[in-house]
Amino acid sequence: MDPHLLTRRRLLGLFGAAASVPILSSCGSSVGGSGGGGATGGGGGTVKVGLVVPQSGVYAALGTDMQRGWQLWLDQNGGTFGDRSVETVVADEGETPQTGVPAVQKVLQSDGVDVVVGLVNSATALGVRNVMSEARKLLIVTNAGAEDVTGAGRTPYVWRTSFTNGQISAAMGAHLAESGFSEGVYAIAPDYAAGTEVIAHFKRAFEAGGGRVVGEVKTPFGTTSDYQPFLTGIQDSGARATFCFFSGSEAITFVRQYAQFGLAGSIPLYGSGFLTEGNVLPQQGDAALGVQNTLHYSDQLDNPANKAFVDAYTTAHGEAPSCFSMATFDAANVLNRALRSATAIDGDALSAALGGIGTVDDSPRGPWTFENQTPRQHIYLRRVDNVGGKLVNAVVQDLGPQSQPAAV
Amino acid sequence: MTAVEAPAVPGGEAAVPPRAPRGRAWIVAVAVVVVLAAVPLFLAPFATTTLTRILVFALFAVSLDLLVGVTGLPSLGHAAYFGSGAYAAGWVSINVTAQAPVPLLAGVAVGAVAAALTGWITVRSAGVFFLMLTLAIGETVQQLGNAWDSVTGGANGLTGIPSVRIAGAPLANAGFTYWYVLAVFLLGFTLVRLVARSPFGAALRGIRDNEARMRAIGYPTSLYKYAVFVLAGGVAGLAGSLLAAQARLVALPDLGFATAAFALLAVVIGGAGSLWGACLGAALVIVIRDALGPSLGGHGTLVLGAVFVLVVYLLPRGAAGIRLRRRRSPS
Amino acid sequence: MLVSVLNGLAIGFLLFIVAIGLSLVFGMMDVLNLAHGALFLGGAYLGAAFSGSWGGFLAALGIAAVGGLLAGSVLSLMTGPLRRRSHLDQALLTLGVAFVVAELLVLAFGDDPLSVAAPPALDGSVTVFDAVYPAYRLVLIGVGAVLAVVVYLVVERTRVGAVVRATVADRDMVATIGIDNRLVTTAVFAVGSLLATTAGVLGGPIYGARPGLDATVLILALVVVVIGGLGSVRGALVGSLIIGQVDTLGRVLLPELASFVLFAALALVLVLRPQGLFGGPAAVGAR
Repeated sequence: MDPHLLTRRRLLGLFGAAASVPILSSCGSSVGGSGGGGATGGGGGTVKVGLVVPQSGVYAALGTDMQRGWQLWLDQNGGTFGDRSVETVVADEGETPQTGVPAVQKVLQSDGVDVVVGLVNSATALGVRNVMSEARKLLIVTNAGAEDVTGAGRTPYVWRTSFTNGQISAAMGAHLAESGFSEGVYAIAPDYAAGTEVIAHFKRAFEAGGGRVVGEVKTPFGTTSDYQPFLTGIQDSGARATFCFFSGSEAITFVRQYAQFGLAGSIPLYGSGFLTEGNVLPQQGDAALGVQNTLHYSDQLDNPANKAFVDAYTTAHGEAPSCFSMATFDAANVLNRALRSATAIDGDALSAALGGIGTVDDSPRGPWTFENQTPRQHIYLRRVDNVGGKLVNAVVQDLGPQSQPAAV
Repeated sequence: MTAVEAPAVPGGEAAVPPRAPRGRAWIVAVAVVVVLAAVPLFLAPFATTTLTRILVFALFAVSLDLLVGVTGLPSLGHAAYFGSGAYAAGWVSINVTAQAPVPLLAGVAVGAVAAALTGWITVRSAGVFFLMLTLAIGETVQQLGNAWDSVTGGANGLTGIPSVRIAGAPLANAGFTYWYVLAVFLLGFTLVRLVARSPFGAALRGIRDNEARMRAIGYPTSLYKYAVFVLAGGVAGLAGSLLAAQARLVALPDLGFATAAFALLAVVIGGAGSLWGACLGAALVIVIRDALGPSLGGHGTLVLGAVFVLVVYLLPRGAAGIRLRRRRSPS
Repeated sequence: MLVSVLNGLAIGFLLFIVAIGLSLVFGMMDVLNLAHGALFLGGAYLGAAFSGSWGGFLAALGIAAVGGLLAGSVLSLMTGPLRRRSHLDQALLTLGVAFVVAELLVLAFGDDPLSVAAPPALDGSVTVFDAVYPAYRLVLIGVGAVLAVVVYLVVERTRVGAVVRATVADRDMVATIGIDNRLVTTAVFAVGSLLATTAGVLGGPIYGARPGLDATVLILALVVVVIGGLGSVRGALVGSLIIGQVDTLGRVLLPELASFVLFAALALVLVLRPQGLFGGPAAVGAR
């Protein structure tokens, strides 16, 4: 016999130690009743929030920003929503719905949270709609930008404090059409659902303003590290400007290579604001200088709420906040407002209360309102500038309040 | 036929110990089924949901074990058939009917057809080349899923899948969904077990151990490999239809490399060739990834990788090796 | 168009440096080292940590080389005890190691994607074929070509290379004639890993350093060695140059099929020639 073989007891120890934690700690019954397991809330003194954000995988940096934004609001407001103290349970959304959906189910069913906040991945946000409505609990999405999250098939239990993909790119489409580029823009985005939405809404707004798209390409998502083949296509198209949608590492690579291959000097680069937002900007370095983009936020916005937010955030973490921190900060803000008028902390009561909070007038992004459960908010034209040796997204122009555009 | 029966890889035959006391094996099997069936009465929803996920992934791992353990074809693209079946079941549930056998049949059919369409390329190769070809097919199918977004929903995933309906009534909660998944799992497991124990299964093990010899004594080995590839694809599609019923969401990663690799880990952890071992391996993977993972501060993969490395060293024959030892030491 | 061909060369030579180690390790030990991509990522993170100056770049190269040698020796020791078990167990062991190493790198270097500046003077762009092209990539073509020649000469023209080739061809025969091939296999594993980490430093200015890069690079390298034929230096070189062109020129010519060209090329080669372009006919059945 092989000496390495384990005894059965050791095996049971190995498997049992792992298995018993989640399974045995949660006895009860899964039959009868549709929700179950969770705390009932009522008039008690606490509200339990499940903060489901990526702690692993390619979106982990966004998850860090989101946790910081959430915590900052709580720290500034005594850790309470109204007269209820807030208890936060953080869970790892991971990279895909394969990990994100179980994480949401875990905080709902195992930790018994009253509200779920977070979610970067749109597929996860869309995939938990039925979980939330069956549990009759509220979810506030603080990033995922797919239009369907708050589109025609939305549920009253899922709200959003971030943006919609098309909201941001449509504003850029209208702006470019009236800025002398109507003769020809090239559109490039990764080949996945968000890229498709961004390009579709950009094109519709740009063409409605009399613009002409001279070329369009979708790059393989998540596996493209060298954009040279596509950059050649842009140069050959005769475009006057490029509109792109990239984020994370793809944004870094694309912007740097756009400069390295000499396009930056001849064909100005425009994009959706995630191109130069948050942690990617310092990595892009001078290659990003002059890139113009649209977003619902910039840490450079000149309003008192934002100045206070940026100061506090920078003091705590040594770097400026991103739109991801801001949207999660605002999620705490709107929950607090809703709880002032909510009769209970179940999803129905909170959803009704969120519908009545009116204009959020103390947000770092400027005033905004919920419209169909997602923000109607100002979109800003930003340009990457060097301010005192540091790259920032300077606000060039306020493009005015924008709704989630109708589906293309 | 003697060549066929010779067990060449130690432990490979562990699932079918020749001297197993038939009565006792039956008692154990019945006891396990009874305990599994009673689980929703005692466990809270999240634990039941986790167990449901384990069963779904276990059936997928069992279908892969038919290729890896029984036939000796290590696949890194088996998720392509699992995911195809899941998309088919989900699409049918949304657009046609969620009435019980229909999504299952759709999953099986699409899984098997996808395997039939791609299998003729893969079964011509073996070993690492088989690994690479299946990997390439898996990645390509995932790209197709991304491109065909009118059916699959692309990167947003196929969402809004209704609950499975049985005799007109939807499965109302985690407990009923669990029982449905358990019933189909038992069906699929029994089917694979019967195949593995049949003369056909014996021939597959012969191919695993020495394909040239099997060919020499007159077996059409390519045909056999093709048949088991399609069968494994069908069972993976069945598991996929359970995924659609349980998660009510199918997304591109369900087709991709990571899913296929985790299934392969589950098979190896359990001991390739042992069907119930694959189920244990699947349980370990799902518990770490879905139940513990959210609380590990983002280090779920680290723990899974470390556990896996340990298991490869400490359990050279996987969980099946344990049983071998227990059986032999008292006698 | 010509720029795309040139760029394909740069990517191709970088791939060759990654793939040759993978190919030789498999050819000699039958170990498909799925941790190879994680080694590349380690090099890329080192490059990112030290980027900005020539001193930093060379330091990163040096540390990556030593680290690669150590990592390769450790991997060789780890897979040794599994030699009598199936190749699948060995491959999956390295997959587990890959998960662990990639996670540890993220713990050490953070989860932000990082960019890597080319060393000063190579950071700019030059004009080639009437197009602007990054100078660093031109240098990379030269470095890759030199490395390819060196590896080729060592394997094909030296005594050590002869042992390596003989071990690839028939391991048992080499042992029978009294050569202790464990030392040779460990050395090949170490040098192969060194090339992977070095490629990580060299590739940093192109690919950056980020979580997930390990899997992307690993899959590219696997495609290269399978197309070229496992264990063959010539195969790895030709495979790298083909994939370099497929990944650039293919995307210029067929942008709407960009996601498919890589695996289409792999499937095409394997359907027509299952053992790869330069693989021996025995490879298919035996492995």
